[in-house]
Amino acid sequence: MKKLRAVLSLMLAFVLTLSLLSGCSSATKQQQSSQSNNTTQNAKNKDFKVGLVTDVGGINDHSFNQLAYQGIEKAKSELGVTVNFIQSKQQTDYVTNLTQFAQQKYNLVIAVGFLMKDAVEQVSKEFPDTKFLIIDSDITDRPNVASATFKTEQCGYLVGVMAGLMEKEKNSKLNDQNVVGVVGGMQIPPVDSYIAGFQQGVKAVNPDTKVLVSYTGNFNDPASGKQMALTQISQGADIVFHVAGQTGDGVINAAKEKNVYAIGVDADQNYMAPDTVMTSALKKVDVATFETIKNALNNNFKSGLVYFDLANDGVGYAKPIKDVPQSIVDKVNEYANKIKDGTIKVSDQVQK
Amino acid sequence: MKEILLNPQLWSATLAMATPLALPALGGTFSERSGVVNIAMEGIMLIAAFFAVLFAHLTGSAWLGLLGAVIVGMIVAVIFAWAAVTLTADQVILGMAINIFASGFTAYLLNTIFGFSGTPTDTPMLPNINIPIIKNIPFVGQILSGNSIIVYLMIILIFASDYFLFHTNLGLRIRAVGENPEAAETAGINVIKLRYLGVALSGLFSAIGGAYLSIGLLNSFSTDMSSGRGYIALAAMIFGKWTPFGSFGAALLFGFATALSMQLQNSALSKNIIMMLPYILTVLALVGVGGKSVSPAADGVPYTPKK
Repeated sequence: MKKLRAVLSLMLAFVLTLSLLSGCSSATKQQQSSQSNNTTQNAKNKDFKVGLVTDVGGINDHSFNQLAYQGIEKAKSELGVTVNFIQSKQQTDYVTNLTQFAQQKYNLVIAVGFLMKDAVEQVSKEFPDTKFLIIDSDITDRPNVASATFKTEQCGYLVGVMAGLMEKEKNSKLNDQNVVGVVGGMQIPPVDSYIAGFQQGVKAVNPDTKVLVSYTGNFNDPASGKQMALTQISQGADIVFHVAGQTGDGVINAAKEKNVYAIGVDADQNYMAPDTVMTSALKKVDVATFETIKNALNNNFKSGLVYFDLANDGVGYAKPIKDVPQSIVDKVNEYANKIKDGTIKVSDQVQK
Repeated sequence: MKEILLNPQLWSATLAMATPLALPALGGTFSERSGVVNIAMEGIMLIAAFFAVLFAHLTGSAWLGLLGAVIVGMIVAVIFAWAAVTLTADQVILGMAINIFASGFTAYLLNTIFGFSGTPTDTPMLPNINIPIIKNIPFVGQILSGNSIIVYLMIILIFASDYFLFHTNLGLRIRAVGENPEAAETAGINVIKLRYLGVALSGLFSAIGGAYLSIGLLNSFSTDMSSGRGYIALAAMIFGKWTPFGSFGAALLFGFATALSMQLQNSALSKNIIMMLPYILTVLALVGVGGKSVSPAADGVPYTPKK
C-alpha cells in the first residue's frame, strides 16, 4: 500500500512537471534556433535579449499576442537580437513569467496586454535595470517602462464608417433591417475603445443604423462567441464586428454559417473566412514591438506613453474584399484623412 | 420580453450551450454512480477537443475526428481509472492533475503541430441535421431542426443512459458498486472492473462533449477552449441528483441562463448584471430549488478487494 502511494506521488509529480514544461519548452527551442541561426550576426546584437510574455490568449490567438510574436520574430531576423517567449496560462502567472526573464538578465521584457499592468508595475520596481514594454497600458511613472497605447478608436471608427455605408448597399449577404453588431470580449478599455470608435463611425454616415453591443466576458471561449454572434444575427445584424480575441473565432464562424459579413480585429483575419471577413480593424502591435526593440538596442529607449495612431500608421484597416465598392473605400479614406488632420476627434467612450 | 422568448435563437442557443454541459455531466454520473469522483472531465474535454481537430484535419473526415477524440478521451479516462481504482490514489488530486496537464499538453501540441497561426481553416466540421417535415413548422422547426448532429446524439444518449443505469442488470451493478462495494463483492460482482467501466464511460461522454466544442460548433481548436465547462458539468450532475435526466435538465437550465443573458445584452438592463445571470441562477439552483442531493454512499472512497 505504501509503495503504491509512493509510486503514485512520483507519477503525479511527473505529470505536473511535464505540464509545466510543455508551457515553455517550445520557447527554449525558439531560443536555441535563434542562437544557431544568427552566428554570423553582430555579436553585440546577439547579446541583446528580448523576452515576450503573452496574455492568456496565447501566441496563436490570431490577434494581438500573435502580432507581438511576429514583431519579435522580425527583430530576430532583421536585427539579430536573441528572442524568447513564455505564454501565460492564467492571470496569476504574469508576475512569475515577467520575473523569470528579468532574473535571467533580459535587456527588454515585453508584456502583452492591459491585464498585465499591475504585474509590470510590481516587477519593474524590483528590476530597475531591466527595460519593459507593456502593450495597451498607461504606466508613466517608471523610467524603465514604456507603454504602447493604440488609438484603436480611430481604426474602429473607419471600419464603422465602412459598415454604416455597406448597410445602404444591397447584396445577398445584407438584409434591410439596418442593424450591425459588435461582440466584445471583456469590458475593458482596449476593447471599449474599438467599440466606441465603431459606434461613432457608423453613426457618422448612417445615423439610423442600430448598433448592438454585447460582451462575452472572456477571450478564450469561441463557443460562446458563436452563440453571441448568432443572437445578434437573429436580432437583425448583417455585419458583425468582433473585439474578442479567440472568442472571436466563433463570431467569424457564425457569420460564415449565416451568410453575413464579419469584421476582424487586431490582425488581418480575412484568411479565416475569405468571403465573410470584409475587412479588419488593424492594431499594429508588431510595429510597436519591433520599433521599441530597435530603439532599445540603439540606446534610444523612451519610457512613458508611446502613441500609435492613424498618423504614424500604428492603426488602420485591412484591404477590404471586393464586395465593398470602391466608392465606399474612397469615402473611408476621406474620413481617415479627416482624423489624421484633426478635423474629426474620435472619443474612446462607449455610448450606452 | 415576449419578443425575446419568441426568438427561436434563444432556444437553439439554449440547446447549443447545454450540450457541452450535459455530455460531461452524464459522464460524471456514470463515474460517480460506480463510486469514483471524477473531476477530470474538464481536462478530458479539452484533450478530446484538440484530437478531434487533429484527426479531422489529418483524415479529412469529421467523423474520424470524433472517433479519434473518443478513443483518446477513453485512454485518458482509463489511465485515470488505473491510478484511482487500482492504485487507490486520491481521486480529486488526480483529477486536478489531469486538468492541469491537459491545458499545457494541448497548448504545446497546438504550437508544435500547427504552428502559431492556429488550426487550419479547412478543417471539416460535423454536419448540422435538418429534420424533414419538422423543419417546415414555424418557430418549433427552427429550434428542433438544424442543430449539430451531436445535439441529437446527446438526447439519444440521455435516454439510453437512463435505461441502462436504472433498467438493466449491469446498470444495477454499477450503482451497487457505488453504494456498497463490500456487499456487491459478496454478491459476486467484480467491483474493480465495474469502476473501470464507469470511469471509461465518463471519458467517452466527456470526449464527445469536447469534440462538440471544436468540430461540432466550430472547426478549430484554441487553447483552454473548454473554459470551465467540465466544472459546471459537475454542478449540473449534482443538481441533477446523479441521474441522466436530472443532469440534462440542469444543463438545460444553465444553457438557458446563458442564452437569456446573450439576448438581454442589448436591453435597458446593466450589462454587468446580465453577465452575472447564469452564475446567479446556478447558485440559486444549487442551494435552494434543488432540494437535498445525496451522493452515492461510496463515492470517492477507494476500494481494496478482500483477499
